[in-house]
Amino acid sequence: MEYGYYPGCSLTGSAKRLDRGVRQVCKKLGHSLTEIPDWNCCGALEYGNRNELLSISGENLTKAQAMCKEIVVPCPACYKNLKDADSDKSFNILSPLELLNAENLSQIEQKRDLKDKVFFPYYGCLLMRPEGSAIKNKNIMEDTISAFGGDVDGEKMKDRCCGGNQLFLNKWVTEKLSTLILGKSKGTVVVFCPFCHMAMKTFAVGRKVIYLTDLLLYVMGENKSL
Amino acid sequence: MNEIDHEIIFKYTGYRRADFSVCLGCKICASVCTVNDLELNVNPQELLMKLFVGEIIEGDHPLVRYCTSCYRCASACPWQIRIPEVVRALKESLGIEARFEKAFKKCINIWGRVYEPFVVVMAAPDLLKGGYIKYMPKWMEYAGFHLPHKVKRVSSSKTSKGLNPTEEGRS
Repeated sequence: MEYGYYPGCSLTGSAKRLDRGVRQVCKKLGHSLTEIPDWNCCGALEYGNRNELLSISGENLTKAQAMCKEIVVPCPACYKNLKDADSDKSFNILSPLELLNAENLSQIEQKRDLKDKVFFPYYGCLLMRPEGSAIKNKNIMEDTISAFGGDVDGEKMKDRCCGGNQLFLNKWVTEKLSTLILGKSKGTVVVFCPFCHMAMKTFAVGRKVIYLTDLLLYVMGENKSL
Repeated sequence: MNEIDHEIIFKYTGYRRADFSVCLGCKICASVCTVNDLELNVNPQELLMKLFVGEIIEGDHPLVRYCTSCYRCASACPWQIRIPEVVRALKESLGIEARFEKAFKKCINIWGRVYEPFVVVMAAPDLLKGGYIKYMPKWMEYAGFHLPHKVKRVSSSKTSKGLNPTEEGRS
């Protein structure tokens, strides 16, 4: 399947690992990603003027118009903004999580299993809310981990806010919210959001924080360790 | 203390004043608000009512300062009023954005994309004062460096079209 690809600013900087992971996993699943030419920032969560935010996100859709109608957007903030800007629903905007389903997971050649390993799948806010732009299957990370034999812990904390948005404004807010979540969960933290990854990694002591793509690549035998 | 022009908030958020009159006063937004996890005792519904009746909102209001844009309130609200967007509009109109937020927007205005090294340099005084240096090794683990590249802007055909978030929520 052919898709347009919008990495967003984080995935070309501090979340480069997620970018590489998404590209590798999609290739393994037989999906071809073509980057939208000369894409610009979606506005993230910084713009107070909604019209301005929708306008700069809309520019990306204009740039994608000639090449595709289906766009894969890994960063949850970009995913939400692009979905909001596509008011007439002329595009199918997808998170890579939406490309994973039972059929796709069964196609993965499993070289390692996750037996006796405990994971805490953490979605954060923007993949789960607001309803109009949230992903449909809100258990996809749990399903993925279970499909490869891993155990899941911390179910009730998966959509709590880590405060990633406040990390560079009021560090104590992020510290308090992240440690609250980490304290009520066990095992390796599995995330899919660059904000959450940075916030969790900053305050997780003695816990590993990985992207779901790292886990998938480990199962496929591409990554040597988790 | 800066005073806000309430009409600018409505313009920024795409809401009309009348959209806030549908608020039922159920305070479900307050019961789920993440800022309350910080033991700060805030009530987003009270903030909406202040806007609706045209009362002054101060820049150091805990919700304005600490809202994490988690959308738990918007998700729980029977009318799906997007309170985080109202808070961001308040911040912008009051001109109380932090150095980091200003650097972020400046970067978009110059190049059309956000280049993290530029934002870090611009926000360095706050980052140095805030004790962030000790976390740098953790953040640099995956960071890559790429040279700024100016993005060509296009005249967008996909603009907001006067989108009204409340109406969108109702449909």
